[in-house]
Amino acid sequence: MSKILVDTIDTRSGTTNLTIGGSNNTGSTTIKTNNTDAVTIDNSQNLKFNSGYGSVATAYGCRAWVNFNGIGTVAIRDSGNVSSITDNGTGDYTVNFTVSMPDINYTTTYAGGQKSATWGLYLGYSSYGSSTSGHRFHVTTPADATTDTSFCSLAFFR
Amino acid sequence: MDKRIIYKNTDGTISIIIPTNEALQTMTIEQIANKDVPTGLSYKIVNASEISSDRTFRDAWTIADNELTDGVGD
Repeated sequence: MSKILVDTIDTRSGTTNLTIGGSNNTGSTTIKTNNTDAVTIDNSQNLKFNSGYGSVATAYGCRAWVNFNGIGTVAIRDSGNVSSITDNGTGDYTVNFTVSMPDINYTTTYAGGQKSATWGLYLGYSSYGSSTSGHRFHVTTPADATTDTSFCSLAFFR
Repeated sequence: MDKRIIYKNTDGTISIIIPTNEALQTMTIEQIANKDVPTGLSYKIVNASEISSDRTFRDAWTIADNELTDGVGD
């Protein structure tokens, strides 16, 4: 093993992309701080990080997220990897991904409702199921009636 | 101008697509429509202000087929 001692790695003038590793790098790449592994990319391209976890572990990324208002004029507050939402009717929406998922086995977390308006709403999978390009879901009351709500927050992990 | 995309589903119901700001930074509204409108369904692009904010009878909204003239979903 050889070691290069430097303070900063930078691109050459006029070069905008910095690449670490190439065809010879068939193992993992690790960044240490205080002589402890902080970030590792293994040879299957899995990103692992510590960040208080106690050891480096695989990061399962949020691949898409959206926060929108489904009442009145439906409007998107902000999003990541979402090209649009589709308003299919009362309490019936589809989140359309900009970059599709690799399969339909991704997981979804939901948060919604507003205590001052309607509480105890259920946000969940619709009978349409998931696709790689989008996810359709329903918002329902405890009485199982579809309803609009002012806060719909979803995150998709894969 | 804030835009919306309208299409009619095969069961006659109306869907309205709201594009995200992030998508509009890299795609046109037509590209978003072609991508997110189901394959083979015709769509119309309208100003957001043309969509009612009163959703009381949202599930009864309809549109004439001959108004869906701006393209077809890929």
